[in-house]
Amino acid sequence: MEFKDYYKILGVAKTATADEVKKAYRKLARKYHPDVSKEPDAQARMAELNEAQAVLSDPEKRVAYDALGSQPAGQRDFRPPPNWDAGFEFSDGAGGAGGDYSDFFEQLFGRARHAGGPGSSRGRHREPQPERGTDHHAKIELDLLDVYDGAERNISLRGARLDESGHMVTEDRTLNVKIPKGVIEGQQIRLGGQGGPGHAGGPPGDLFLEVHFKPDARYRVQGRDVTASLPLAPWEAALGAQIEVPTPTSRVQVTVPAGWKKGRKLRLKGHGIPGRGATDPAGDMYLELELALPPGDTPKARELYETMARELPFDPRAGL
Amino acid sequence: MNTPNAITVQHALAGELLEEAALSLEELARACRVPPGWVIERVESGFLEAAAAVPGEWRFASASLVRARRLCNLETTFDAGPEIAALTADLIEEVVHLRQRLRTAGLDA
Repeated sequence: MEFKDYYKILGVAKTATADEVKKAYRKLARKYHPDVSKEPDAQARMAELNEAQAVLSDPEKRVAYDALGSQPAGQRDFRPPPNWDAGFEFSDGAGGAGGDYSDFFEQLFGRARHAGGPGSSRGRHREPQPERGTDHHAKIELDLLDVYDGAERNISLRGARLDESGHMVTEDRTLNVKIPKGVIEGQQIRLGGQGGPGHAGGPPGDLFLEVHFKPDARYRVQGRDVTASLPLAPWEAALGAQIEVPTPTSRVQVTVPAGWKKGRKLRLKGHGIPGRGATDPAGDMYLELELALPPGDTPKARELYETMARELPFDPRAGL
Repeated sequence: MNTPNAITVQHALAGELLEEAALSLEELARACRVPPGWVIERVESGFLEAAAAVPGEWRFASASLVRARRLCNLETTFDAGPEIAALTADLIEEVVHLRQRLRTAGLDA
């Protein structure tokens, strides 16, 4: 287990006052707030900040943490000495709102949170009350195709749980999840009983998965509507055409009307993300008509362009 | 102790889509790790939206869960009052919405 230097994480001295700790935390929380931050590791940094703040802003935990001393030089692997917290009383649970903490934190303060659970033998805690496990939250990224057809996907998660002897162990687990057909960006999928373990016989919490789509070069998604670009040759755009177009799941015949205009879109009704019942109908697919010009790099192409230039009375800058 | 255990669940877990099975007041509060009173106050102040699917009984959809967690996070992280947290959440949601429109228009956000 890696020793966590909470003072270093918050960038404060060991002598920092409660007010200085709070100020440092808020300043960094603004920088790494996952809703706002552009830093790639914002989420992990925020979790670390929350943990450091939870310890250093709580006088009881801070005193206990300080008593551990600092990390011995050159030693990466850290274990607290036996009974390191004897004589310290933690009046509240370790968590607080939104607390998902490291192994290091759980090792130090986790036992206080699960007071009286397996592994607690000092008898200074209350009788254990059955307590429901906490709900966990994770984000998942899906391919657009997954939600058109519904799919089973393996989702890797890293969590922590108490083993039989009451020690915290990290656990990598892969959940095979059925993705409901027609789920859209931002929706939540709840997996009952897959959250944190219960304590003293309480039931486990739930796992909430927030759905996001992987970026796709071909499709852009808004709600249930899906937009794609449809490149047209000049003669298709000018004269109209019957063309075959791929959708995320099939190919459809589309009639392109004659007379192309910039920004024109075709709507394929019901070809967006599938609906979920009468109140939530399928989305539409939009095709943005774009012009693609054949290169004038062969004698034949040059000749055709030159013929058009000569014979078509066309001024593209008439409106300037 | 502390050795990563790899556990693979073989059978597929059927997820429950929250737009349909919207959360109850207690479920929402538990998912945010706040007391139900916290949720009630924010709904009554108009900071959080509840859909009354069953008369007299609040239900909350996916978007409300995301918003409630955001409000809770802003309040605890910055010691913000509910009004400031709600205003900040409004602005964050507006930015998310505008970025999505940029992406739909083919412009990178």
